[in-house]
Amino acid sequence: MTAAIPTQVARTRSGEPATFLEAISEALWEEMERDESVFLMGEDIGEYGGAFKVTRGFLARFGATRVVDTPISEGGFTGAAAGAAHMGLRPVVEIQFMDFVSPAYDVLTNYIATSRYRGAGPLPLVVRGPVGGGSRGGPFHSQNVEMAFFHTPGLKIVYPATARDAKGLLKSAIRDDDPVIFEEHKGLYRAPHCRELLPDEDYVVPIGEARTVLEGDDLTVVTYGLMVHRSLEAAATLARDGARIEVIDLRTLLPLDEEAISASVRKTGKLLIVHEDTRTGGIAGEIAMRVNERAFEWLDGPILRVTAIDSPVPFSGELEDYFLPSVEDVVTAARYLLDY
Amino acid sequence: MERDGGSAALPDRVVEDLLYLGCQGRLLEAVVREMSGSGQLGTAFADLDIDVRAMAIARAMRSFADGSGDLCHPGLLSPGPALAFGATPLEFLRHVTARGTSPASARAGGLSWHDTDRGLIGWGGPRGGTMTQVMAGAALAHRQRGEDRVALVFEERGALQGGGWHEGMSLSGALALALIVVVEDSFPPDSADATDLRAMAGVYGADFVSVGAMELVELYRLAADARQRALGGDGPVIVELRPLPDEERWALHDGLAEAAVADDTISERERVDTEAAATASVEHASERLGKEPGPSPEEALAPICAAAPPIRPWPRLDPPSPQARPVEELQGAAW
Repeated sequence: MTAAIPTQVARTRSGEPATFLEAISEALWEEMERDESVFLMGEDIGEYGGAFKVTRGFLARFGATRVVDTPISEGGFTGAAAGAAHMGLRPVVEIQFMDFVSPAYDVLTNYIATSRYRGAGPLPLVVRGPVGGGSRGGPFHSQNVEMAFFHTPGLKIVYPATARDAKGLLKSAIRDDDPVIFEEHKGLYRAPHCRELLPDEDYVVPIGEARTVLEGDDLTVVTYGLMVHRSLEAAATLARDGARIEVIDLRTLLPLDEEAISASVRKTGKLLIVHEDTRTGGIAGEIAMRVNERAFEWLDGPILRVTAIDSPVPFSGELEDYFLPSVEDVVTAARYLLDY
Repeated sequence: MERDGGSAALPDRVVEDLLYLGCQGRLLEAVVREMSGSGQLGTAFADLDIDVRAMAIARAMRSFADGSGDLCHPGLLSPGPALAFGATPLEFLRHVTARGTSPASARAGGLSWHDTDRGLIGWGGPRGGTMTQVMAGAALAHRQRGEDRVALVFEERGALQGGGWHEGMSLSGALALALIVVVEDSFPPDSADATDLRAMAGVYGADFVSVGAMELVELYRLAADARQRALGGDGPVIVELRPLPDEERWALHDGLAEAAVADDTISERERVDTEAAATASVEHASERLGKEPGPSPEEALAPICAAAPPIRPWPRLDPPSPQARPVEELQGAAW
């Protein structure tokens, strides 16, 4: 007897809009049905269905060999995922909170990322999990981890902002022959404004392609993740003053779609980068340098950035709100550039 | 004809293989140490040990060339098991000397390499224990596909002091994976090693055996039994190879050769021919090595590190800027 299909993977086939989290679940479910080599590993993902219930009902459908509950040992099971990938499987590793990916940093950067380089062939695996602040999780359940891995050749980093992209990009990540770090902002998981009707067909969103979310010619805002939504709010505020803001959602951080960034900067002449990650060593620095290399002469003002401040994520709500980039922060920086 | 005890208890081809591999290993060990002593290789290779016991264990696994046999990580500084899984002396020497023809085009060092068709997963990395994690995952893949294959991993004892090894063992024990971990004790122990390996094996639900100067035939049988236990779903097995001086390790090889001739498993002529063949393979590898090219940065690095040529800063490509220098002027400029 076939196990019942869990509700969180049945929205699209029922013709209902899906949340960001349901889009993730649908992608995993459909890929596991499509390809027997795809399997899941992680803490409490089986009986319990995962900390955020992304994999609720998967164990009954796919069994314990494909939904593997692991000990609390991120390094150990990420390393094991590499071994399974060597043998032709396509593991998807769930890190319960991506803050806890740090114990797997060694195997990810030294072993997995270097696999092709060392002549050990491609390692098709995905390491996915929730990131980001705003949920009062404090310093150990709120981090953004992209820049810990951005410096490592051999990895890809994906960070979607919409349910449609989350599903399409996760499918692409699972089908990719290289290791992919897949970040999911938990503030988007069940956000009502992220609920959308997803395509019926088996679609993918290519890794490495940014998306112009809003077209404009006065200022380019380059951003990703939850900050796409904050930037759109800011753009709406500025539009009331007549400013036309172009918002680019990177979607993939590595490889970076610098063509899309520089094309927009050549059009607008001004660039603001917005990210939730902390300031020093954030991706804004790299983007600014690439624009310097590719579009310096089109710039009509300094490149600015709006980011979290350089601090661990605070637990107190008041402190966390101060710490995180706000819509007002984006509006303020944008007005400065517009007036420059 | 097979009899109980002695080398004759094993098929002739296994005994011949053990003798052949032992000869190759002994000669390669000498070649690499000599190259290190003469400055042709790094000093790390001066301590290279090829443990004939490790080769006997590896030979007890099922090794095929089509990707259907057992899987072996041969260890960081002890490549003997790689020979038992079908690697050649020439491949081995290409790798340690970083020839352009090496399996990883000289991009990576270490003494092991990767060829899953032959059952080899190699790496030489900065932290011990990682390969126990990786090989546990390989064992998980074998189980998922219903394949009767084991994963064999050689770790040096220092790996036990890192958390990575314990995480790999924890996972293997929890999932009762078909994993055999051989802990090689042939390097000077680190100063703070307080590991009770037997007790630790019990914690992880692993079977444990400690091996000293055990006859190779007996060790081969032991490894074959460990393989069957692992495949039976009883969980991982840890084999400890206690340290032995060079002469005692190679005495085990000599003892096998003498016993094999004494009990007519092989003839004296066959023993001589086997040794001659092994010697010829190493001599050929040494001679050939001098003709092998060094690595080419353009070929070895370009496809890996850069998908496109580096972007040169400043030139305005389209539309042309009055201030910008023509792109042609920038060609050949030093950046």
